[in-house]
Amino acid sequence: MNVLATPELPAIQSTQQNDHSIFALSVVDLWKKYGDHQALSGTSFDVKPGERLALLGPNGAGKTTLIRSMCGRVRPDRGEILLFGKSIREPNVLQSMGVIPQDLAIYADLTAQENLECFGQLHGLRSRKLRERVKWALRWIGLEDRARDLTKNFSGGMKRRVNIACGVLHRPQILLLDEPTVGVDPQSRQRIFEMLDELSQEGTSIVLTTHHLDEAETRCDRIVIVDHGKVVADGTIDQLIEQTIGVQREVAIEATGLMVAAPPGLRWDATRQRFLCYVENVADELPGILERVQSVGGVITDMEVHQPDLHHVFLYLTGRELRE
Amino acid sequence: MIWTVMQTSWRRLKNNRSELFLTFVVPVIFFSIFALIFGSRDSSSSTPKIKVAIANAHPSELSNKAVLLLGEQKSLRISEHANSTKAGDSKTTVATLDRATAEDLVRRGMVSAAIVFSKPTDQALPNNAPKIEILTDSFDQVASQVLAAIVQKAMLTATAEIAKSSNPINGSAMNGIPNAAMQPVDVQHALYTRANSSGSAITPSNPLIQSPDTMSMLPQVAVVDVIGGKKTNPVVAMYAAGIAVMFLLFSATTASGSLLEERENSTLDRLLCSRLTMDQLLLGKWAFLTAIGATQLTLMFVWGSLVFGIDLLHHLEGFAAMTLVTSGAASSFALMLAALCKTRMQLGWVSTIVILSMSALGGSMVPRYLMSETIQRAGLLTFNAWALEGFNKVFWREMPLTEIGTELAVLTVCGFGFIVAARVFAIRWERS
Repeated sequence: MNVLATPELPAIQSTQQNDHSIFALSVVDLWKKYGDHQALSGTSFDVKPGERLALLGPNGAGKTTLIRSMCGRVRPDRGEILLFGKSIREPNVLQSMGVIPQDLAIYADLTAQENLECFGQLHGLRSRKLRERVKWALRWIGLEDRARDLTKNFSGGMKRRVNIACGVLHRPQILLLDEPTVGVDPQSRQRIFEMLDELSQEGTSIVLTTHHLDEAETRCDRIVIVDHGKVVADGTIDQLIEQTIGVQREVAIEATGLMVAAPPGLRWDATRQRFLCYVENVADELPGILERVQSVGGVITDMEVHQPDLHHVFLYLTGRELRE
Repeated sequence: MIWTVMQTSWRRLKNNRSELFLTFVVPVIFFSIFALIFGSRDSSSSTPKIKVAIANAHPSELSNKAVLLLGEQKSLRISEHANSTKAGDSKTTVATLDRATAEDLVRRGMVSAAIVFSKPTDQALPNNAPKIEILTDSFDQVASQVLAAIVQKAMLTATAEIAKSSNPINGSAMNGIPNAAMQPVDVQHALYTRANSSGSAITPSNPLIQSPDTMSMLPQVAVVDVIGGKKTNPVVAMYAAGIAVMFLLFSATTASGSLLEERENSTLDRLLCSRLTMDQLLLGKWAFLTAIGATQLTLMFVWGSLVFGIDLLHHLEGFAAMTLVTSGAASSFALMLAALCKTRMQLGWVSTIVILSMSALGGSMVPRYLMSETIQRAGLLTFNAWALEGFNKVFWREMPLTEIGTELAVLTVCGFGFIVAARVFAIRWERS
């Protein structure tokens, strides 16, 4: 399902929406209203087994409500959440899901090992199985040597890793992560994504929300952008770019010299102090552009060619205005 | 700079409603609660009365008259328990009580003291003058002292009235009572004027009353402590329960704040996404808090036993029962408060207000017998009053387990009610 919808158009639904059993997770026409605020307005998307999906959206777009609905903590007004075709309302279905909250939902006054044992037991692990999984988790998050230290003495990145490990001890088939790398240094972010890659390779479907667009672009197989409670784009990064901004590249030229007028076909961006234009074929069109700048007296001092990225797509779809 | 610090502090306070409430409103609330509890003693309608039983085991004209006069005393409330035996006929009822029954009433806490008129064994006593005993429970340390003065006054008045009615002119002695006692108006006037003018209470221990000239006029009243007399350290036994219950409530509410902490940092979400249900979560926390509370009470009483001489060993059965139900009810109460509040800060100030108020009203801080009757009745609505009464029955009155059934039942029902309320309040956390 690779669907894109502009903000003006309703999202196109999957053609396979009636066969949800092939998907690890299916969100089907989800609606939720808090008072006068419509948090979700018919949100629908699917996640394949082993897929890494980034759920993006500006603040207040409905991501948190969506995540909380998916893990059963919010009862939607309408719609359905299915795991491998089964409703999460059915007994034990939610046991195949792991949830990693944005906050550090661990006990700061327990050691790393005690935290893991606690959440392992709450997910039904006992005795030998529990010991094995705790040992695996400590190795997985690289904290074997700090197993008996209180987590309140850990760095932010270490706490994040324990936070994630507590949600995967029971080998969930679907893992929901709400901003898993918020507030951590680049090294810890790198380690966390390596951990998630390992899970994905083992077949775990991963759904994560993030404000780091580069993470979504480089670390996820697919991106779903939510705004005003509905899916406004759904696809790979290339598909999203192609269906929004297109394949054009941005050319930015820095020039000095006395220019009598702006070069034809270029516009002046006062903020960036550059002449800008968009080209579809860099090799064919670039020489002509340089020539036009020089023809009006400009001396080119620098030039950049930008490939559109998720940042551009995101702003294109959700606008530039600040959100609460 | 100092101005900036002050300005910033004020702005922070102004923007924090809870802190504003704690700073300016809570003190007024507390003042009002304590004023209601203790200030209302001045009101004549609710002045505390001493609940007494009267056993007139050796009826005579003098003792009958004294009983009637005692019945007219506004500061006494003759035991309804005794009255119930004879349809409100106080004369007959009093006559039916013997010393043993009266003592039992005192031991069971049905009355604060009992006045017993019995046949004199001391030949030195005047003819027909009854032997007067006040059987007291030193748990109520005020009652015995006040009562002794009241009984003496009643005896003097009774003697004088009888003398006046039988021989209004002759001022000679009657029934062996000294002449001085037959001039009640003057004697009493002198006695009470002297006592009151000095601002002292009229008690048998008051030097004014015990001075040689007045002592010779007063009938002999023996004060017998039927409960506390044999105890090594009665004061500790009395107050251990009060302190223990109050701190049990404080520690339970503090610990129950973990529920709100879990709510605030999303751990509750994670817990409820596991196999754990809200029922299991609350019951788990309740069981833990109950175990901690029981341990806390046990530690306190063991310490009291070792250091202050509380007789724990001979009251283990009652102690265990009271400790379990009290801890259980306190845990339920704490969880209910936690489930009711939105934040730990809110829980902090709500629990402080509620627990201190309940402790004051329920007798953890000041014995309930010092409060007005209205407030004493209101105190029964608090958790503390029932817990304290149960512990007092066990340690002070040394009653068997069967005698604390009411307290155990009330606390059990309270505990159940509180945990059900906590569960109802917690519904909002399950599906938000």
